[in-house]
Amino acid sequence: MEIKGYHIPDDLMYTKEHEWAKEEGKAVRIGITDYAAKTLNDVVYVSAPKVNGAVEQAKSMGTVESIKAVSEVYAPISGRVVKVNGVLDSHPELINKSPYGEGWLVEVEPSNLPAERKSLLDARGYAAYLETLLQK
Amino acid sequence: MPKTTQLFGYHSKRAKLTEFAGYEMPLWYTTTAAEHMAVRNASGIFDVSHMGRFRVEGQKATGFLEELVPTAVKTQPPGKAFYTLLLNDRGGIIDDLIIEKLGEESYLVVVNAANAKADMEHMRAHSPSGLVIDDRTGSTAMVAVQGPGAVSSLQRLTDLDLGQLKRFRCAEARVAGEEALVSRTGYTGEDGFEVIVYGATSERPDGAMKVWEKLAETSTPCGLGARDSLRLEAGFPLHGSDMDQGTNPYEADLAWVIAAGKRGFVGSEALEASGAQPPSKVRRGLVLDFGIPRHGFEVLGDAGAAGVVTSGTFSPVLRKGIALCYLAQGSSEPGSRVGVTIRGSSQPASVTKPPFYDERSYGWKRQKDN
Repeated sequence: MEIKGYHIPDDLMYTKEHEWAKEEGKAVRIGITDYAAKTLNDVVYVSAPKVNGAVEQAKSMGTVESIKAVSEVYAPISGRVVKVNGVLDSHPELINKSPYGEGWLVEVEPSNLPAERKSLLDARGYAAYLETLLQK
Repeated sequence: MPKTTQLFGYHSKRAKLTEFAGYEMPLWYTTTAAEHMAVRNASGIFDVSHMGRFRVEGQKATGFLEELVPTAVKTQPPGKAFYTLLLNDRGGIIDDLIIEKLGEESYLVVVNAANAKADMEHMRAHSPSGLVIDDRTGSTAMVAVQGPGAVSSLQRLTDLDLGQLKRFRCAEARVAGEEALVSRTGYTGEDGFEVIVYGATSERPDGAMKVWEKLAETSTPCGLGARDSLRLEAGFPLHGSDMDQGTNPYEADLAWVIAAGKRGFVGSEALEASGAQPPSKVRRGLVLDFGIPRHGFEVLGDAGAAGVVTSGTFSPVLRKGIALCYLAQGSSEPGSRVGVTIRGSSQPASVTKPPFYDERSYGWKRQKDN
């Protein structure tokens, strides 16, 4: 679905900090939402955790930066990083071009997904949250 | 309620807006990176109508300014624009500004929006009776046209021969039919102009809007995001971030604005004392190997704390993090290696004297066949 020009795919899980998560087999792929990317305007630098690094739900796992601003990325779930999107080192603009596709950040092997997924939003929940945010 | 410029009607429909110095201004229209590179490779336009513009006129105008700023004023010919500083009694920088000399006793003083009120108070406090200092900010608009394509973009709108208007010269002319003051100045490091459109108020913005829209046919509208990244890449300090009333011109690496041997201006006695010894810190540039430095980040030298970042960004030309900072004497030599602390880890960086780009390829001195 789409809220005021911001794309929100139906099949992802979301946080109120504007990250998305998607189950890909045993791993969970993580990125930032279209809204987050557009608010940053032009992503020029990505600092992601290393492979095998541990991430913890709702704790900072890296930063995404535009020319003007720094945005923390909070882990939507806990686990161990199994893959990092290295293409972003040379092409950080992929986050703006394709936040849910080529602009993904990391893949994590989850340690507590069944419990933690309860605190994530579905597309409708995130859309409703975004709408209240944009009304302010 | 924030104030708006005469061109707000254009920005509000097309730009992401931000509040700056009490004005609602465009932050970007498309992306900061694209607008930045449009100025480096072609031409861009900026609404800078928020900047303060004061007319200083009358028999005592030259004498007044001569005693106010460290630059020589009387010897400047009419038609000259010059960069200078307002200093307090301690030699600290109240603001940096451009003075355009229109006639022997007639000047337009262009100052930072955030300091306009303080500047006016400082000027009034030092002005002799009978001198007119008139705030023209609300009755004029101001548009910067910047980049290697600036001449051709602006020349379409005016009979003034822009090829004959040298850098830091100004002339009154009609632009898109409107009376204006055109100066070959700017804040991007590129060739370009600043056009002050007379007779433009919020109630009657049409003339200024016509100038802007005609320029937008051949130049890319740019927001404050690109204005900041461009000035930083050129190494120009921003007052309020890179210098303030506690910084003197020697520390800010702006001692060149002090005319040789000039005395008797506000702050001169304090500067004579501080100029006799090397400053304990000096403004420099940093280029990082990785990461983006930001305002307030700590700089470490071999012997520990060496200074602090006062503004930082990602350079679209270098594709690296760059910063302006103040460094202690031992670490300030260009070519020195230092560390910038970014979220707890030290990132290696090289000390430079900006501009950050290669002047053979970018900026107003660039080789024309590029």
